[in-house]
Amino acid sequence: MEASVRLLHRYEMSATQHTLRRAFTAQAHPAKGVICRSCRAGIVRRHASSSAAAAEAAPAPEINILAEQIPRTAEHIPKAAPAVTQSYQMRAGVVLSRPPQITRDLTPFEKSFFLYQRRLNERLALPFTRYFYFRKDTPADIQYKRRVKERQTPARDIGKYNAYGAEGWNDELLVGAVESEPEHQMQELLKDAEEPTKEEETATSLEQPMPRITEADKLNDQKSLNRLLQRTLYLLVQNQQGRWVFPNDILQGRENLHMAAERVLVQTGGINMNTWVVGNAPIGYYKFDLLKPVVDGPNQVLGEKVFFMKARIMAGQADLATNLFGLKDFKWLSGEELQTHVSPLYWKSVRGMILER
Amino acid sequence: MALREAPTALRRLARSTCTSCLRPSPSNRTYSSAAADDADLEPTSFTPPPRDASEFNPVGQSRARPKQLPASRYRFRSPKFYRGPLHPHQPPPPSDPSSRLFVPGPFSLPRLAQTYTSTIAPDMLAQTYTHVPLGQQRGPVGQRLRSWEGESPYFAGRPLRAPKGNAVLLPLHAPITFRNVPKIERVTVHTMASEAIKDSAYLHVAGMVVQAVTNVRAETHRARNSILQWGLKAGRYVSVTADLRGEDMHNFLAKVVEIVLPRIKEWRGLKGSSGDSTGNISFGIGAEGVALFPEVEVNYDMYPPKMIPGMHITVHTTAKNDKEARLLLSSIGLPFYGKLVN
Repeated sequence: MEASVRLLHRYEMSATQHTLRRAFTAQAHPAKGVICRSCRAGIVRRHASSSAAAAEAAPAPEINILAEQIPRTAEHIPKAAPAVTQSYQMRAGVVLSRPPQITRDLTPFEKSFFLYQRRLNERLALPFTRYFYFRKDTPADIQYKRRVKERQTPARDIGKYNAYGAEGWNDELLVGAVESEPEHQMQELLKDAEEPTKEEETATSLEQPMPRITEADKLNDQKSLNRLLQRTLYLLVQNQQGRWVFPNDILQGRENLHMAAERVLVQTGGINMNTWVVGNAPIGYYKFDLLKPVVDGPNQVLGEKVFFMKARIMAGQADLATNLFGLKDFKWLSGEELQTHVSPLYWKSVRGMILER
Repeated sequence: MALREAPTALRRLARSTCTSCLRPSPSNRTYSSAAADDADLEPTSFTPPPRDASEFNPVGQSRARPKQLPASRYRFRSPKFYRGPLHPHQPPPPSDPSSRLFVPGPFSLPRLAQTYTSTIAPDMLAQTYTHVPLGQQRGPVGQRLRSWEGESPYFAGRPLRAPKGNAVLLPLHAPITFRNVPKIERVTVHTMASEAIKDSAYLHVAGMVVQAVTNVRAETHRARNSILQWGLKAGRYVSVTADLRGEDMHNFLAKVVEIVLPRIKEWRGLKGSSGDSTGNISFGIGAEGVALFPEVEVNYDMYPPKMIPGMHITVHTTAKNDKEARLLLSSIGLPFYGKLVN
């Protein structure tokens, strides 16, 4: 682990404003630790407001900074021996997702509600102005008249229903009716969209839309991006220890989270992915505490903190052949599937980032 | 009372002797909960016979009825005029289909609305999020309207002055959280046909085009001022607007973004300086662009030649500044060009 990536948390007091300020301006030094800008501003502000208290050398235990960074001058070095610095390993993770590709399935309530509202609209709306759309006595006009006579209404997706007739009140569907099903409505629309033909000719059938369930769905191919088109899919990788996690790596040098996320994506899934890292702020984090701190030189590592950046995949596919992290496997999973793959503690940290759809 | 719980025979006896104490009152009504309680009750016409759903035929039932039910008694008619809160005949709420104000809908869940909730809004939140360290609060908002400084005693009761250098008080910008992610509120489609002063057919065609394209009843507007150069006369009908919300708005925007604009030749995008600095952005489509709408294209011959108008489209968003409104519009597929002005 590099010294430059430590966020140190326990800083012994007796730091005057002067020392502190120098500490924060020392960010430009190479091999110095990383502290986020807002936390830095917060510390300076807090210290400025309580400078009188600090002058009395009162302990300020809430001040967490990088003890190592502070270039201590002779007069500022405390008499006591410098304590062992404790830190967390800072990591950048990427939540790479494929957004939903198609609209979601409607609930049975939505289906029947929408059909009911359409039929109500048919009862309340003014009649369709046929001559504005069909010239009189053209084949299209004749075809239209024949079709309307058949279904009794100009609307093509509400089934056989006469809104203006004496039985217009009968606008509710009976048990088992298919008129409210979007699949049925789509077929009706396709039937209507067929070209007007003479009666002896056979109707030319239009091309059917692509199915909403793909081959990958049927095979449950969790490596495919063509699966679960209605849902968001997240890239999950299996690390060397066999745990399923989001791709992540230690922050290197002075790179920020956004840059680290882009690097992690390339080093994980190769260059055959067209991705976009959304925003500059992390959308969540995961903290892992070791049972016993690991001593690393003058420092103690308490655990790791992974800050997750959001990313979207536009095209391409992950390829672990060239990955630098020794990853074994990858999967594109929906939120529920993701929960079954990761540990409960991990899920507790990341579930806030997982979208409902 | 105890008599109501008594067996049937006893109740019959009681009825013959004292009927006054059997007057139904809600307080002493008992509901039989178990089947055992029903056993000693007389069968009534209110117990529905078990029926199969497949046998239910409301139309057949209605036709079999020898005499149709009188509509006056079985159909509620909302009063034509509101006669005050004390009148016995009150209108139902507008959401009731029997109300005269009822407007049916929604009829579908538009794709753009679904994309917004599933993809655009979470991404915008990630993009516009500003981190506030724990325990830190937003600073107080400075004085937005100036007070009157001076000796004059008349300053005491005066309303505050407008901000310096700008007569308009712009809305405050709150940091974006999951509660206030900008969204599209409504879309206004506007068309002006100044030739309508000479020939009203222009206005009729404009109205038909706007209605066909937006699925909303068009509203006509008069010219406010007379302008000689433009041939405008105050008080004459010259323009048509439609105000779209909800489903119509989403369908219209999706149509514009996915069908119309990509087919316009050498279309550069929306101008970066567009916007009223409060999050509402306008753009225009020329007459040849309007002809590309599928609703116009399907019966293009029905519109008189050279009468199809261009249109102005204003997208009203809940964003408080143009920067965030542009972010929203570009995420639904409307790119911007040129210098971006806030």
